[in-house]
Amino acid sequence: MIKRLLAATGIATLCLMSAASAADKVEMWVRTGIGEAFKKTVEAYNSSHENQVSMTEVPFSELVQKYATAIAGGQAPDALSMDLIYNPAFAAAGQLEDLTDWAKSLPYFSALSPSHVKLGTYQDRIYGLPLSVETSVFAWNKDLYKKAGLDPEKAPTTWDEITANAEKIRALGDDNYGFYFSGGGCGGCMIFTFTPLVWGAGADILSADSKTATLDTPEMRKAVDIYRNMVKKDLVPAGAASDNGANFLTFTSGKIGQQSLGAFAIGSLVTEHPDINFGVTLIPGATGGTSSFAGGDNFVITKGTPKMAAVKEFLEYIYSEDGQKMMAKYGSLPTRGDIAGKVLEGLDPRLQVGIEAISVAKTPYTLQFNDLINSANGPWASFTNAAIFGEDVDGAFSNAQSEMQSIIDSGQ
Amino acid sequence: MTGSGSKTLSPQRKRRRRSGWRGLVYIAPAMALVILFFVMPVIFTGWMSLHNWPLMGGTRWIGLKNYVRMLHDARFLSALQFTAYYTIVVTIAIFAVAFPLAIFVEKQRRFVSAYRTIIFLPVVVGLATASLLWVWLANVDSGFVGPALKALGLVDKSPNLLATFDSAFLTIIIMVVWKIAGFTMIILLTGLQAIPADLTEAARIDGAGRWQRFRYLTLPLMRKTIALALIISVTGSILAFDQFYIMTSGGPQNRMISVVYYIFNQSFVSFNLGYGAALSIALLAILVVLSIVQLWLLRVGEERP
Amino acid sequence: MTTAKVSPSKQRRARKAFRANGAYHAAGIAICLFFLAPFVITFLASFRHGTEARLPPLPPWPTNGLSIDSYLSLDTFGAGIWQHTINSLLVSLATVVLTVAVSLLAGYGFSRYRFPLKNVLFVLIIATLMIPFQSILTPLFIILAKLGLNNSLLGLTLVYVTLQLPFSVFMMRNAFDAVPKEIEEAARIDGARDLRLLVRVLLPLVLPGIATVAIFAFLNAWNEFLAALILLSSNEKYTLPVLMMAVRAGRLGAVNWGAVQAGVAVMTVPCLIVFLLLQRYYMRGLMAGAVK
Repeated sequence: MIKRLLAATGIATLCLMSAASAADKVEMWVRTGIGEAFKKTVEAYNSSHENQVSMTEVPFSELVQKYATAIAGGQAPDALSMDLIYNPAFAAAGQLEDLTDWAKSLPYFSALSPSHVKLGTYQDRIYGLPLSVETSVFAWNKDLYKKAGLDPEKAPTTWDEITANAEKIRALGDDNYGFYFSGGGCGGCMIFTFTPLVWGAGADILSADSKTATLDTPEMRKAVDIYRNMVKKDLVPAGAASDNGANFLTFTSGKIGQQSLGAFAIGSLVTEHPDINFGVTLIPGATGGTSSFAGGDNFVITKGTPKMAAVKEFLEYIYSEDGQKMMAKYGSLPTRGDIAGKVLEGLDPRLQVGIEAISVAKTPYTLQFNDLINSANGPWASFTNAAIFGEDVDGAFSNAQSEMQSIIDSGQ
Repeated sequence: MTGSGSKTLSPQRKRRRRSGWRGLVYIAPAMALVILFFVMPVIFTGWMSLHNWPLMGGTRWIGLKNYVRMLHDARFLSALQFTAYYTIVVTIAIFAVAFPLAIFVEKQRRFVSAYRTIIFLPVVVGLATASLLWVWLANVDSGFVGPALKALGLVDKSPNLLATFDSAFLTIIIMVVWKIAGFTMIILLTGLQAIPADLTEAARIDGAGRWQRFRYLTLPLMRKTIALALIISVTGSILAFDQFYIMTSGGPQNRMISVVYYIFNQSFVSFNLGYGAALSIALLAILVVLSIVQLWLLRVGEERP
Repeated sequence: MTTAKVSPSKQRRARKAFRANGAYHAAGIAICLFFLAPFVITFLASFRHGTEARLPPLPPWPTNGLSIDSYLSLDTFGAGIWQHTINSLLVSLATVVLTVAVSLLAGYGFSRYRFPLKNVLFVLIIATLMIPFQSILTPLFIILAKLGLNNSLLGLTLVYVTLQLPFSVFMMRNAFDAVPKEIEEAARIDGARDLRLLVRVLLPLVLPGIATVAIFAFLNAWNEFLAALILLSSNEKYTLPVLMMAVRAGRLGAVNWGAVQAGVAVMTVPCLIVFLLLQRYYMRGLMAGAVK
């Protein structure tokens, strides 16, 4: 009897095991708002492969804490699409699978988006590889330009020009506004769209080794002035002052003349709001030059996952020409430089600007990105709100400078 | 009678002895849950508070350093200050609305029970839901308040209520009063109704005016009820989180970070679990002290009829 | 014509009373407007066309005919509104059943039996009210994970039941205390013992208390947000409040206010219905609690 039972369970186990090896189910988390691109790629992968990927959308503001809590509870998903700026902190904590050898064996490794690989690297080992590239660009609404008597085909190249254009668009009256940004304590939005003004002018908010906060520079003062001036002249909707990022794409309402946004939005504007006729260009620096923020997601694998092979297979699919085309078609820029031209063929030419931005783009490398920059209650988020909307600009600078420095120091 | 009493005495005693265990059996499920999901986590929190405990990576024993750090943590102190400010303002606001309402609906007359029900309705809705509802009403472009003021011609331009501290704070206070006043009203109402009608009648015949009756009769008799309503309001306000998280994400320039919000940020945003745990223990201590003070207040109420 | 016979002074008094009455009800209506308006505006606005969702609700009612666009767009978030509503219902109803069962037993035990450490244990249960559960979420998460109950609706339910216990046990003990001992003695003499006594004889007598406990358990479980956010990790398990955070966070950089209104309606209506149906018990329980 017992023998039979054992045999039966043995067979059952065998069945389970063979089933498992035949088709793995990869659990993967992504942030909400990553949009259709990745969803469609997963669908395409699932319909053409035996292994399956099951995707869970987590509210973007809670993704990092949920992932970190899940790791602590031993219930993390196999893989995660992680905002690349968090990659160093998670790699440093030893929670991610080391991908160095496998990554370097990929024939197209050297063509992968360099800033993503840089952020995915910690102490010369690679823990994250690019999944989606998102650069910030400057967009203007051609219809509103035309209405305001401006040349709709001429991209503005300085902030003086942008301000002047904004005034003309605001003069159209009603609820047409010249400019928009999410200024209600959205650190992520502002590092993405606002720091390029400073970077383009040659300054930075952190020193090269990320050990010193260098917020109070003439370039930053100038950039703050530009935004303050536009707010003071009523060129920006009142909602901007309390927008914590939820209305980041107010540009899609068609009532906003100009806004810095992500290249990713180009795709969704084209597919979801075909009525909006817009142009894109690189974000001008406060005192000349251009810059951009290279953001997006890295693909990371939770340390110790038993489904390594299946995860790698999925990632290789994403890097294949099919996968890259699928992502691009729904608005995500190609992560492989070598086939970018081929992938973007036949797609909206404005995506090309997003690719150009990669060459001038920057990404801060710090283990404390969340505490310093991204947290809605961090010093950067409240600095941008206080400096642009508040009464006391000097106070905003000195508070944020000292708070950032103390966070950096406490982390050493 | 006595005979039957002495006869039943011994089984009764037996029952009582047996019942010692039986009583424990009845409360066992409740105790199991409380121990597993409350006592253990609290002890665990205390243990964590003595460590440097990042969410990921190794933990390190640091003794009382987290508590020392707390004393010099300007952001924690300002969270304490804000929470105290909020608690005082919102409690006064709730009482200022709920007390007149309780008097308003005290007497049985036509439609009074309908009024009571309607005033109470927001109480049964979740605070998160209420916050969500009001964040929409207060929205500058798509909401109700600002656009309605503009439509009435009271303002030139729809104001962004959530953009400055004062107007955002006022909005939250109004939301909370709307949500909570009905609850406080009902509690105060029970106190009002417990006052014997002939007492007030006697005072009236003795020539006591309305205000005098309220001041020297109603208020003293309601001490206990008021203390209870106060406890509930103060404890709830000290633990406030949802409204700040959902409506203002901490408010313009971080000025609406309550203590629980700060603990949440330290634990689940910055992942300083050890420090977050120490803050939790501090909050716990504050609440225990407050509860003792309030229980003492309640007792004072009992002594004076 | 009775008024003709009434003396002028009486008439004046009657008119004064009538006017006071009118003023009273005018005030009553104004107060009710303030407390009702947010609900009414939201419900009405949620039936506007999708294209109007972005516009302020002036007037709040749909001007271009009724539409359920907002509800349809709400359905596109997460795993669909039905799934999340069912999750919320499952958790809330399970919380109600378990809370009633556990607190009924405990209330009976605390009211009718003597046992060692009785007062200490009672205070221990009540004392959990003073601890903000937000501050113990991380240990809770770890304990649930050890039990294999994280990311499960059952685990969340158990946490909710625990959160309900202080109030419920207190309520039930008071309910049992209010039952005259004579009734119990009489039943005992008739041969009823323990559980049978509890279920057959006492249960009907403490029914109002049970109703109160059940209503509070339902409302609190239905409305709870933070624990659900931390303890559930996969899409298809989210309860409604967590779903609503995703709606509030916006999609593709814009908040769909129509979906917010529809979501508020979906979250509010069950609470209001439960309350209006069982109001008597709710109020009675609340007042009983307040008096004790």
